Amino acid sequence: MKTREGGRIVDEAAVIARVRAGEPEAYAELVRAHTGIALRAAAALGAGADAEDVVQQAFVKAYGALGRFRDGAAFRPWLLSIVANETRNTVRTAARQRTLADREAAFAEAEPLIPESADPAVATLETERRAALLSALEQLSEEHRLVVTYRYLLDMDEPDTAQALGWPRGTVKSRLNRALKKLGRLLPDFRPREGGDERE
Amino acid sequence: MSVSDGRESYEGAPQLPDELRALGRALDARHGGGGEAGGSESMVERVLAQILAEQTPVPVQEAGPSGIRARLRTVRRWMRMRRRALVAALCGLLTVLVLTPPVRAAVFDWFGFGGVEVRYDPSAVPSAGAEVPGCGRSVTLAQARERAGFEPLVPDALGVPDAVTVTGEPQGRFLVSLCWREDGHTVRVDEYPARLDPGFVKTVREPPEWLSLGGTASPDGVQDPALWFARPHLLSFWLVDADGDRHTREERTAGPTLLWTHAVGGVPGGDLTFRLEGMGSKGRAVEIAKSLDRDE
Repeated sequence: MKTREGGRIVDEAAVIARVRAGEPEAYAELVRAHTGIALRAAAALGAGADAEDVVQQAFVKAYGALGRFRDGAAFRPWLLSIVANETRNTVRTAARQRTLADREAAFAEAEPLIPESADPAVATLETERRAALLSALEQLSEEHRLVVTYRYLLDMDEPDTAQALGWPRGTVKSRLNRALKKLGRLLPDFRPREGGDERE
Repeated sequence: MSVSDGRESYEGAPQLPDELRALGRALDARHGGGGEAGGSESMVERVLAQILAEQTPVPVQEAGPSGIRARLRTVRRWMRMRRRALVAALCGLLTVLVLTPPVRAAVFDWFGFGGVEVRYDPSAVPSAGAEVPGCGRSVTLAQARERAGFEPLVPDALGVPDAVTVTGEPQGRFLVSLCWREDGHTVRVDEYPARLDPGFVKTVREPPEWLSLGGTASPDGVQDPALWFARPHLLSFWLVDADGDRHTREERTAGPTLLWTHAVGGVPGGDLTFRLEGMGSKGRAVEIAKSLDRDE
């Protein structure tokens, strides 16, 4: 599956080299390529209405830290860990941690933009389903919520997830497994009737 | 809740990843105002404007990996490259730590009062069958006193020495040697004013044994200490030739030796250092050392 940003072909190493060589304008290419996923990450991590400010700050900080970026590493997980930091700081300092209700409202609002839900009935169903998913996510532990967010909501592969979270690959794998099982248990309504493994 | 219509593919957890991805994409819809591309462009403008406004310095690639983790990496690489040398050095260090404390104490203490330096060297192999050197041509005790500048003390237990010699030492100091013949071999006592710079260097393969002569307690309350070197060891000492000023470092193998000091009233600085060589019995050596008190 290709994300929209992933569709853009950017030779990151070359761009980073140009920025380091004193060409700040080249940084525009990195910003352009990763704004979408960065905004999604900020939103998923609870930045709410501050998501754009958070992402802007994260990009500026990433620019300043580009000298420490390890050659050959992936830029996206590196950027997203900065975004996650910025989100945490913003949410904490502003004491505006989004409540579950806020997020649900935001999703309900956004719903009409989702193309495959043109049918109002399907749209309602999806809204309900997503509210349930969000509610289940909220009930996960911080670590489980993070690994699910990076791996699926941000659609990163396991190595990038591991890099962004700073965890070993094995930890990502095992926490992801447990998180999915818990999510499954927290979503009983959407279970197939015949798949009764409630005690899992 | 009816989920069956058009949703037959839902199989619980196996379907969750795709649902979660869709949830993630749904998040995108809330941002970007006039569409994704517009969102990116406005973000580009905002970021570049801030970078230029704040005059954020151009990021210069730091030489090599940076940060604490990177520094640890560097250290680890360095350790890997030098592991053998490090292990060797650490083993050497441990050997020194384990083996030297008593000897270091000896060096310190003897510097303080004895003028004898004890060095530990497991590779110092004394030659076999070495004999205690005799004293050579004898002078009288009175002559010795005149030349050496101090009154030589004679351990009562050994009686009148068969020979007495005076040897010049660096910096105008003198060593008085007393020799006796006992059962076909030589017993020898060297005595000289205790001072800081060592006249003798004993290189030993095992630390000497601390003894207490147990006679008069010194002013600080410590019983007269003595060092017993049970094994033959290498002994280095100064020699001054006939001119009196040129000296060389000589080395010989010394047999069992007792080292001690003795306070003497008439000597500036107080103490004489004694070394008794040629006495195989520790008990007898201690008796001889103690007999200096009776002599006074």
